[in-house]
Amino acid sequence: MTSARSFAALTLLAAIAAVVLFILHLGLGTVWIPPDRVILALLDRSTDPTDLTIVRELRLPRAILGLLVGCMLGLSGALLQVVMRNRLAEPGLTGVSTGGILAAVLFLAGTWGLPPPGRLLPFVVLLGALAGGILVLFASSARGRIDPLRLILTAVIVNAILGSLTAIVMLRSQQALGSILSWLIGSLNGRVWDDVWLALPWAAVGIPAGLLAARAANVLQLDDESGRALGLPLQPARVALFGLAVVLAAGAVSVSGAIAFVGLMAPNAARAIAGADARRVLPLAALIGCVLLLAADLVAQSLSIKPPIPSSAYRVGLPVGAVLAVFGAPLLIILLRRSIR
Amino acid sequence: MNDFEPIRLAQVSAGYGQRMVLDGLDLELKQGTITAIVGPNGSGKSTVIRAMARLLPTRSGVVLLDGQDIRSFGSRGIARLVSVLPQSPSSPPGLTVRELVELGRFPHTGLFGRLGAEGTLAVESALTLTGLSDFVERPLDELSGGERQRAWIALALAQGASTLLLDEPTTFLDVRHQFEVLDLVASLCTSRGMTVVMVLHDLVHAANYADRVVVVDSGRIVADGAPSAVLTVELMRTVFGVAAKIFTNPESGRMFCLPIGTGRS
Repeated sequence: MTSARSFAALTLLAAIAAVVLFILHLGLGTVWIPPDRVILALLDRSTDPTDLTIVRELRLPRAILGLLVGCMLGLSGALLQVVMRNRLAEPGLTGVSTGGILAAVLFLAGTWGLPPPGRLLPFVVLLGALAGGILVLFASSARGRIDPLRLILTAVIVNAILGSLTAIVMLRSQQALGSILSWLIGSLNGRVWDDVWLALPWAAVGIPAGLLAARAANVLQLDDESGRALGLPLQPARVALFGLAVVLAAGAVSVSGAIAFVGLMAPNAARAIAGADARRVLPLAALIGCVLLLAADLVAQSLSIKPPIPSSAYRVGLPVGAVLAVFGAPLLIILLRRSIR
Repeated sequence: MNDFEPIRLAQVSAGYGQRMVLDGLDLELKQGTITAIVGPNGSGKSTVIRAMARLLPTRSGVVLLDGQDIRSFGSRGIARLVSVLPQSPSSPPGLTVRELVELGRFPHTGLFGRLGAEGTLAVESALTLTGLSDFVERPLDELSGGERQRAWIALALAQGASTLLLDEPTTFLDVRHQFEVLDLVASLCTSRGMTVVMVLHDLVHAANYADRVVVVDSGRIVADGAPSAVLTVELMRTVFGVAAKIFTNPESGRMFCLPIGTGRS
């Protein structure tokens, strides 16, 4: 579709965009810090202790999470599109988002009246997310076989069940409602280094493994008979790729909540640019995921709102998930219209 | 490649679920020849090919690959010795010819290996042999049916196997492209000494291109031999249920059998 050279150029462009957005992200906030001072602070060469604290302690975790989560969701979506043979597949279709949110709601409802659960919540979401993914995998495998279409249908059904369970718990315990909203939409507001440490292991394992799965992904993209004739054991390969998509998405959901659209947009954009070869689509989807999430979070940060609470003097940043849904969805429609030849 | 023992089926039974399709089949391929498998719909033609490449496990009997039980091979090990082109292969939209053909090296590289010099050479020569050198960067979905089929054959060639199994390679192609594909297969047989098995519906093609015709009916081999000996008026009536006449192709001197109707009118 595109020649190797223009692919390399576009990849480089996306990588540069990610770096620029990363630095802008670190500069933006209540106090604007220009890029040169951000870079000095990042390199630990800054003479201004305020810059050092703001950049390295307060803003760096959120920016790193933007990079990681975007990358994980983009790659997870690209892997799922291969396993499910469907360009509408996205990380939420693994059951991780609804699983994570149900776990969070149950946790918040169960600890009502007790002191705030604090740092425990992301772990609970992580466990729920992984459980959701495993549930979808087991529910869809019949006699040890994973069929792409059955996997999609099962995921939709499991998501519907988990979603309605969440709704029931929330109706019974309205205290959970407020704190769960940002998880439902997905947000990076107020993330700290602890959140980075929580997501990092999943990213460190999932991203390289996901990229190395490119060749298996390419064979899986053929019809089943051709894939088997080339000597790829299809069922184990499908389970492995689905597992990687679950791990990546669960790691992302546990720190950011259910951010939608990145995992759908990034792989589709990557395919529109790079064609079908997974050796290009997977890394490009990860990179585009970073760029999209950082850009959206930059917008989310700058468009703070004053909550409609009379006594509140604070302004609250928009959740990045909301920005992505509002600005990202139209972009996706444009992209899809263009990619139809 | 020369001392490779061709595939042999001994008393092979195989099927899907409760339904048995092959019933104690014996068949030994001859190296460097083209064998056509013909038979009515549902006779088990495709199943023979699937059993030969272990795409379908046998219920009883044994498939010998290079003289050894095919069950003792790994999946990629089989794919290095036997290429299969299924009946209706499909590739993701936007995949280019080169990207497809490079997948033919999967049995050699595995999940993480590199294509390497040998792989690049195999891909290039497969592209040249199939006449696709000018199409390498084109997406498969933009090619004509005949070109697309050649690309799939190129993928099978890039595997570097000495046996090529084709399941109805000419279906959905217009008559010129049918000949193009069959000529290509015949030339592979002579230039590379490949052993070819084709499932064919068109008996005229079978008579024209095959060294040997195997007629399968209800999971058994009912006739096996040179086209002129096998494709008789009698066989056409008993196996296919059609009336036929025998002609000689004035170009090749080969006999062939032309079905002329159901014989009921």
